[in-house]
Amino acid sequence: MSAGDDPQRFEDVDWTELERSRRTVTPARAVFVAGLALFGALLALQAAAVVPNWGFDHLDWITALGALVVLSFGVVPALEHHALARRVLRELLSRPLRGAAAVFLGVFAIVAALGPVVLGSPDLAFEHRFHAPYGFTGADRWHAECLGDIVEGEGITRYCEGTLQYPLGTNERGHPMGHLLVEGASVTLTVLVFTAAFVVPLATAVGVLAGVRGGAVDDLLMSYVDVQLCVPAIVAFFIGYMYWNVSLALLLVTFGLLSWGGIARLVRSETLQRRDDGYVLIARSLGGSWTYVAKRHVVPNITNTLVPAAFHLLALLVLVEAGVAFLGFHHVELYSWGSTVQEGLDPEFAGIGLEMQPHEIWWVSTFPALALTLTIASLKLIGDGLRDALDPRL
Amino acid sequence: MTERFPKGDAEADRAGASDTNSPLLEVDGLETHFPITTRWLRREVGRIRAVDGVSFAIDRGEAFGLVGESGSGKTTAAHSILGLEEPTGGAVRFDGQLVDELTGWELQQFRRRAQLVVQNPDDAFNPRLPVGKSVAEPLALHGMDDEERRRAIVADLLERVGLEATDANRFPHEFSGGEKQRLSIARALVVNPDLIVADEPTSALDGRVKADVLSLLDELRREFDIAVLCISHDIDVVRRFCDRVGVMYLGELVERGETEAVLESPAHPYTRVLIGSIPSLDPSDRSLVRPLTETVPAPSDPPSGCRFHPRCQELIPPTASLEREDWRAIARFRFALQEGTVPEPIAVDSGTRVDPETVRDAFDLPTDLPNEGIEDAVEAATRAVADGDLERARERLAESLSTVCERTQPEAGDECEHLVRCHRYDSTIEAEPIPWRG
Repeated sequence: MSAGDDPQRFEDVDWTELERSRRTVTPARAVFVAGLALFGALLALQAAAVVPNWGFDHLDWITALGALVVLSFGVVPALEHHALARRVLRELLSRPLRGAAAVFLGVFAIVAALGPVVLGSPDLAFEHRFHAPYGFTGADRWHAECLGDIVEGEGITRYCEGTLQYPLGTNERGHPMGHLLVEGASVTLTVLVFTAAFVVPLATAVGVLAGVRGGAVDDLLMSYVDVQLCVPAIVAFFIGYMYWNVSLALLLVTFGLLSWGGIARLVRSETLQRRDDGYVLIARSLGGSWTYVAKRHVVPNITNTLVPAAFHLLALLVLVEAGVAFLGFHHVELYSWGSTVQEGLDPEFAGIGLEMQPHEIWWVSTFPALALTLTIASLKLIGDGLRDALDPRL
Repeated sequence: MTERFPKGDAEADRAGASDTNSPLLEVDGLETHFPITTRWLRREVGRIRAVDGVSFAIDRGEAFGLVGESGSGKTTAAHSILGLEEPTGGAVRFDGQLVDELTGWELQQFRRRAQLVVQNPDDAFNPRLPVGKSVAEPLALHGMDDEERRRAIVADLLERVGLEATDANRFPHEFSGGEKQRLSIARALVVNPDLIVADEPTSALDGRVKADVLSLLDELRREFDIAVLCISHDIDVVRRFCDRVGVMYLGELVERGETEAVLESPAHPYTRVLIGSIPSLDPSDRSLVRPLTETVPAPSDPPSGCRFHPRCQELIPPTASLEREDWRAIARFRFALQEGTVPEPIAVDSGTRVDPETVRDAFDLPTDLPNEGIEDAVEAATRAVADGDLERARERLAESLSTVCERTQPEAGDECEHLVRCHRYDSTIEAEPIPWRG
């Protein structure tokens, strides 16, 4: 080998030639800025009312922004580091239960994102209320017309068989259950996107900042978290409920922005354990900024704690949304799984003089409850699966 | 605190930057204190003097060792030199320039030319990154954007430190301690530095591996003319590896000189304790040099005068008339009381009185001292201890046994060819150096 200028030997690198490049344009940032520009254009269109009767409400904007954040800082980096992403995905799918959870969530996300666009808003069809799912029968009284065969029971009881027109049955307004499940999935996806795009990053940033900077910054942030943990989100939500219109956005903002304290604390303590590790010292002695150290060395090494905690928070907020909707504090135009379950358990039939026991219309409450359960279980499973898949030692 | 970086000096330093005869690294009166603060409002209530006025210089290609027991401030000194801790005083010059004043390109160059090898190979590498990426990290941070080139350089380098090029794709947990230390060295080497600060490079390794890693470091140092600041508590590492050595005790440099001179004929009493504490291979040699008392004082409240004085076997007596052994016994008595480490027979807490004779026996105190003042003081103190009044005993002893070692801070001694901060080497003080018996 020549001793002079072999570019592949460290001692022959000409350091005066290399100027540290500061890449300000990364693919992630490019996508994010492009998305923001698109939103700006849409906002201008909306403000100018070019298309009559068209426009997004607050919730749409929040969701779209959340989706953009997830896309540019989650999906784009994953594509950039496709080798790692593929390894993680392969690892995740190699275990049957976790694989099933991942597939379920994938299908769920696609259905929730595209379903409402394809299906539109469910129509009222009172004449088809309480239709049983296909393969089952429901009580047939005068309340609705029976689309399937009528089976005679004891005495004057008659049963109506479910048909393929409503494969999962209908509720008291004649909404097809399948359609309601898709609507509920879309609400749930909104909750997930909001949490993943805003709440988890906020918790991580605060925790890492407190842990890395220490001192007064740490004191201040952690005192704030302590105070925040003392404010019950539900109270904040009800205060909002009293004074403003009820909306999913209100729920997301109050619950989402008041519930990250626990994760921030976890992240902080994990960060503290790592800030004096050798590789952090080396990176700092090489002139790496704290932001660099946090992104490259701290955050990847706290995923064992952060990922399951974040997925737990996602599951928790999905459950909270369903719970609040179950209690009836939801926007009437949103068909949350929680409110659908509630309608199946405690049907109100003002004016139709009909009484039905919840078990006679079991499909109305069971299907959304099942969807909720599966979603939450999948989130938990994937949280654990991602943790294991991200750790090369496992 | 010393005034930091007088302006005139700094300008003079710039001018001297081109002078290749100046040392590569010059540490002048380095001080790093950590504030002890209250929880409430972070009011400063004290300072941990981790590094308290350390000076040394390292030439190009030279290996300088910094030894001392754990807690003596070696690692903090290293971190302060590299700017990982903010020094509270003193000056660090690299290639004649004050490190503190470097900005932009020059700072970048300093960060490239001075590299760190950390102590524990187990946390030296990010467990989530393949080691190839970690070894290439300095290249990436210093502007080499070409990933292929980084990979090629790392592959070449891994082979030269005794690993395989394909190891780059493996994760840190798949390597042994010795291999990780080789990787650490590779990472330090990859940006072609002029100085490597090796913080306990071998403390986590066993004998054979330790020797291998040291000889690798030594080879590379000679091949690429790299100066090494080697921090260790292990005299053996310094003996094998370093040209010159500095001995640290409680944040201060107590002795500094050529390795051979310092290790063969240590001048400072602390160096003697450090060297004497290595068990000899000769079974007949049972003469471990022990310090007078065992407790290392806290760096937040270091002893006055010479910081080693409460533990010093060679403490200068207040009067020349005392026998050395007698004086040691009395001094040991005094400093043991000061520390509160009282031997078993005198149970102070129980409140039971013992007789002064027991106290004398427990401390092996001599009788019939030639100096009356001291005899009286010892007598009074033993009685006070027998009565369980340690405070009175302490005061009485401190009053009559005052030594120059606790009163004034020793400057660099003039009776020795290398730097020794001990009053015995100060010709203005009437105390002769005690010869080292080897």
